[in-house]
Amino acid sequence: MAILDDGLLKAVVRQAGDSFGISPTGVSEILRRVNTDDDGRSLHGDAGDAGDASDAGDERSEPVSTIGNVGAVRTARPAPTARSAPTVRATARAHRVLSVAAAVLVLLAVGGGAVVLGHRTPDATRRLRAALATPSGHVASGAGSAADRPGTPASSGVDFGPNDQAASTPGSTDHAPAPAGAATGTSARAGATSDAPATTSQAASLPAGIGHSARIEQTGSLDLAVARGALSTTVNQLTALAGANGGFVADSQTRAGTSTSGPGATVTIEVPVASFSAVLKKAESFGKVAALTTQASDVTGQYVDLQDRITALQASRQQYLTIMSRAYSISDVLAVQAQLDALQSQIEQLQGQLALLGNETAYSSLRTGMTEPAPPRRHRAVVVPSGVARAWHDSVHGFVSGAEGLIRIAGPALFALLCLGVTLLGGQLFWRRLQRHNL
Amino acid sequence: MVEQRLEDWLEEGYALSFRTACLILGNRADAEEAVQEAFLRAWRFRHALTSVTSVKPWLYRVVVNSCYSKLRQEIPHRDRRADDDQLAQLAQCTASSDPAARAEQSETAEVVLAALQRLPVSLRVPVVLRYYADLSERDIARAIGRRQGTVKSRLHEARRRLAGDPNMAMLAVDGVLDDPVEA
Repeated sequence: MAILDDGLLKAVVRQAGDSFGISPTGVSEILRRVNTDDDGRSLHGDAGDAGDASDAGDERSEPVSTIGNVGAVRTARPAPTARSAPTVRATARAHRVLSVAAAVLVLLAVGGGAVVLGHRTPDATRRLRAALATPSGHVASGAGSAADRPGTPASSGVDFGPNDQAASTPGSTDHAPAPAGAATGTSARAGATSDAPATTSQAASLPAGIGHSARIEQTGSLDLAVARGALSTTVNQLTALAGANGGFVADSQTRAGTSTSGPGATVTIEVPVASFSAVLKKAESFGKVAALTTQASDVTGQYVDLQDRITALQASRQQYLTIMSRAYSISDVLAVQAQLDALQSQIEQLQGQLALLGNETAYSSLRTGMTEPAPPRRHRAVVVPSGVARAWHDSVHGFVSGAEGLIRIAGPALFALLCLGVTLLGGQLFWRRLQRHNL
Repeated sequence: MVEQRLEDWLEEGYALSFRTACLILGNRADAEEAVQEAFLRAWRFRHALTSVTSVKPWLYRVVVNSCYSKLRQEIPHRDRRADDDQLAQLAQCTASSDPAARAEQSETAEVVLAALQRLPVSLRVPVVLRYYADLSERDIARAIGRRQGTVKSRLHEARRRLAGDPNMAMLAVDGVLDDPVEA
């Protein structure tokens, strides 16, 4: 370059460099740090660090060769065993991206293994315990059998309320492994006026989620006809029943009776899944069963899916946190933070769904409708009138009829009079004119 | 005496190392940290050296690498361009006692420093090592871990960019340097 040759460039760069004043504390600070060993390591050197001259120079990603006495530096290195740890450290620094990627892979592998083991090991343990607990060593066959799901609502023997209910009537599908979906058994149907109540049971698909605890969501609906005046008593009994079984009243409505229907009430109680069948049977005894519907759905797959998704998202969040700790630029930090926020939102949303699902499977809902009989219909009494009253009634009726007759003929009479008056007036005028003409 | 040897090192290379770091980093605080770190590391691994004569270039390499490390760590968080305060500090640090000369030197330093900071690091480091630290292209190649041809091409590109900088061109036109240093 003609106008910026090496000499000029060297001069101005040197002038710029020399304009930086030397800090008076710089040298003393270095001496102080050497003496205080603030890094927690021996700054005075030791045999282990002696060979890491390149470690000081390898802070940058570019490979660096030594200046000057290269051979001396290399020959001064100790045995490989003594410098293995610093070498690994230096390699990790030089390949940070690869180190992070390796850490992420290890985290994924550990997380995936934990998820798989966490889902399989308990089931295998339960199977083994069930086999040991059974005298004959027989483990209940069928992945969907209740005995195959210890610790679940089905394990208590009364948890499958729908199945129990269906078992009381022919044609039900009790504890039979059902195909995917819900197996529905309708035991009997009758009108509300019939003695036999309409009962419908819908059993859950049992063999769902092999290797996981079954999650059954149960609901029931019971219509009762109670005796007249027993409505409030029945409502109180239902409330007490829910409380006695560890449940609670979720909803309660009452309505007044009309001329055509008696007063009624609807009470929805939430009881633990284990107590559902007992509560249902007890509630049936409070009145005459008009209709009964129970339904159970297996949400094990959904529950496990939610758990897996939360685990995966938490693993991803941990990875992003690791990346965040290594991010230096603001744009990187913001990008990682945005990803973390999105992940956190998803995790919280899924955790909410999981909690809701867990609550729904922990408690069964029973809606009980109660109706009192309609009040008896009142008939109007027949009153026979006496003779005087009847005469008075006839008299009044005759008077009214006469007045109505007068009013009725007044119109035509008035019209006839009007016509007659006009005719007379015309005749009179004609007569007068005729007489003048004759004069 | 260990301290005495370290003091020798510091006396021999601290000023040059510090100013080189200043030109590379464009920031006194970062330069101080980088040079301190470089000296500490060099001292920690001094057993790698077998002769005193190799200390200076080896130490210089450690300083450059420490600057690289500082740039990689701190660039996202700091604006490394020389701001007004730093330039005022530069003006105060100039050695000349004549106010006019001091102002002129400060202005020159400001222009050169700004032009250097506009260069990418890959070009700035060879320029500083070549024209301030007075290293040969071969030594620069060893210091930055590149081939000598790469250093030559980078220096050429850096000179081309600096010549295209209007402020630097004005320095040359105005004859700021009455007594240019021999290259």
